[in-house]
Formats: sequence, C-alpha cells, structure tokens
Amino acid sequence: MNEISKDILQFLKSRGFLDGKNSLDEQVSLTETGVIDSIGLLQLVDYLESSYTIEIPMEIITPDNFDTLAGISQSVMKLKK
Amino acid sequence: MTMDTVVCKKCALDSKTPGITINADTGLCQFCENYTPLSKEKKEEFRLQMDTLFKSPKKQGKYDVIMALSGGVDSSYALYRLKEEYPHLRVLAVQFDNGFISDTAFKNAQKFCELTKSTYFRLVLDNTLLRDTFKKAARSKDAYPGFAKYRASDMCNTCMSIIKQKLVEMAIHTKTPFIVFAFSPGQTEVPFVTLTKPFMTWIRKLFDAQMKTMGVTERNLYLMDQDTITASPPDTEVMIIHPFLVWEYNKHQFKEDIIRLGWTEPDLKDPNSSNCLLNAYAIKNHFDKYHIHSYAYDQSALVRQGNIKKEEAMKTLHTTFSDAAMKEVQRRLDQ
Repeated sequence: MNEISKDILQFLKSRGFLDGKNSLDEQVSLTETGVIDSIGLLQLVDYLESSYTIEIPMEIITPDNFDTLAGISQSVMKLKK
Repeated sequence: MTMDTVVCKKCALDSKTPGITINADTGLCQFCENYTPLSKEKKEEFRLQMDTLFKSPKKQGKYDVIMALSGGVDSSYALYRLKEEYPHLRVLAVQFDNGFISDTAFKNAQKFCELTKSTYFRLVLDNTLLRDTFKKAARSKDAYPGFAKYRASDMCNTCMSIIKQKLVEMAIHTKTPFIVFAFSPGQTEVPFVTLTKPFMTWIRKLFDAQMKTMGVTERNLYLMDQDTITASPPDTEVMIIHPFLVWEYNKHQFKEDIIRLGWTEPDLKDPNSSNCLLNAYAIKNHFDKYHIHSYAYDQSALVRQGNIKKEEAMKTLHTTFSDAAMKEVQRRLDQ
C-alpha cells in the first residue's frame, strides 16, 4: 500500500468511517462495502485537497476513479504532478 | 449514563457510544484529538467565494437559488439572511412535506417567503408510500455507511436524501445554479459542493442501493430522474452551498432574530427540531438500534468549534421524549 493510500486509510479511521475495521483492501469499493457515502466522499475530497494542496476537479469524481483506495491514491498522484 | 462512562473532556461524545474512544491520557475523543479549527484566512476565503457566486449568478432560468426550507429556525434564518445580503437573488424556497411537518412550520415557511419575496413551493410526494418508506428506514439496520449513523438517524438520512435528490432534479429542470441547505457547521464540513453529471448519477445509484437494502420498492419516486440527468447538457452543474460554514452560527441569536420577524415556535417539545414531528421518534429509533444519539456528533462538533457550550449539548442529548409523542408518531406511521 502506498503512502497516499495509508494516509486515506488513516483519515477514514480517525473520522469514524471504518466502523471498527482496521484495514481495507486497496481494490475494495468504498461505497459498496458501506465505508463511505456521497457526503463522506466529499469530506475525503476536502481533506485530500487541503493535505496535498491540489484541486480535485469534480468531473474526475466517478466510481472508476474514486471508489477504491487504489483509484483515489492514483488520482491524487496524477494531480500532484 | 453509568459510572464507567467517560465523557470527552472537550465535547459531548462519550465512551459508551459505539466507535467513540476516549484517550486515557488526554481525556479527548478521537474527533477532538484530530480537530483542526478553520483558520480565519480560510473562513475569509469561503466568504469571498460565496460573495462571488451569489453576486453574479448565471441567469439561465427563472431562479438563482433553490433553498431547502423546512420552516425551522436554521432554514428560516438562512433564507432571511440570504435575501438580506443578496437581495437581487431570485429564490425558490422548497418545503418538503414529509407528512410530519407541523402546521406551525408550514405557516413559518410561507411567512418567511412572503417576507423575503421568495417563491414558495411545497413538495408533496405520495404520503402512504412515504410512511411505508419511513417505517422501512426505522426497521432497517446498516443501510447507510458507518459514519452516516453519527450524522443522522436512518429515518432522517432517508428524508434528507429524498430532499437532496428532488432538489437537484428541480435545479436541473429549472436551470437553477445553486441549492442552499441550512445545515449547521456540525452537520457538514464542506461549504461548496459542485455536482457534475457523473457525480449526480453516482449519488443517485448510492441512494438507490441504500433504499434497496431497506426494502423500499417504489424507489424511482424518491430518486432524481436519470433521464433528466442524461438529457441535460454535458456541462450541467449544480452547486450546493452551506452558508453556515461561512456565516457565524448562533442558533439562539437566529431564534431571537426570526421571532422578531414573526416566526412562531411550534409546540414540538423536541430540542433538536423546530419543524418535524418525526424527528424525536427517529432519534429514539436510532438510539434503540445503534446506541448512538443521532445528534451527538452534530452537537459535539458545535461544541468543538465553540458555537455552543458543552453543558447545552449535554442537556440537548439527554432530553427524554414523552411516550405519548412517540405513540402519536407510531399511530400516524401505521395509518
């Protein structure tokens, strides 16, 4: 798991999203497994924008890019470049 | 609360609430430990952003703003303040009739629309189906993600999701660029949310799945119309704005101000709602299912931010509801 995924996981833990779980598979859908919903997703986007000083365009927030730890961390990495 | 229960030193969350841990060394819950207050600069940035958006909205349709108006303290004040600060805004105020709105709240909403020269619209859906949906939400467990349980009760999450879906649909239909929700800064952390077409489709899909888990069959009634999303131009966007993340939040002051303007306090005996009869029942139902008071997180966040005192939050969270009121809601749900 890369540093960004670890950071997201830590955010989800600290904000009560993981409901007692300690880890998550990087490829698991965050919405389908009930980790996060649309409001949680927006909180995460807000956190990532301030932590990584990036702007996440709304058009990339789709299930393809933003529903797994792997997808989100890849999106963040691309935006950081 | 038992002798073993530890309350966070700063807010009103306690160790008895599932998922809440109090650090033995600091005496703080995990939310207080990770809390970073919004800087003055950031708040000013939000204020400027809101000013820019509201001062020159794109004039595409009949309205500039759709306001979710419950007729309660926060939304009545927000509508008044919005029109005070931006008198040129053409506001369509939508009050969702979920079948449990008090008569006083209907009167308050209409009065504030007249006062602010806003257009009033009462959104009515099939009452029998709505009651059935609320009952299914009450009976359901874990239809919403873990954190949503802290944010609101299952019944209120369902009601709020319906409102959001319908308002976004209305915004697309009427080409209205903004939707305003008067959520407290304890209920939301993000002041501006731009909904693009793919994101609208995604939140529609998520709510559809949540309702399916609850056993709701007539789901299209509550979801935004997918054809409306699909047929809208590719660059269609609706922005949701939460002005209480920009303005100071002081509920007591809001209440004083709106009472002076003619707002009437309904006789609900619920410290958490000044418009909906279902709210107290929903809180109890949620607590019985999860041992989580659905206002604990909101109230605690307000304490953390310095918007209310801890004692006030504790008092709100420990108010007991009358059996008679609960039975009355149950009777109406079973009609």
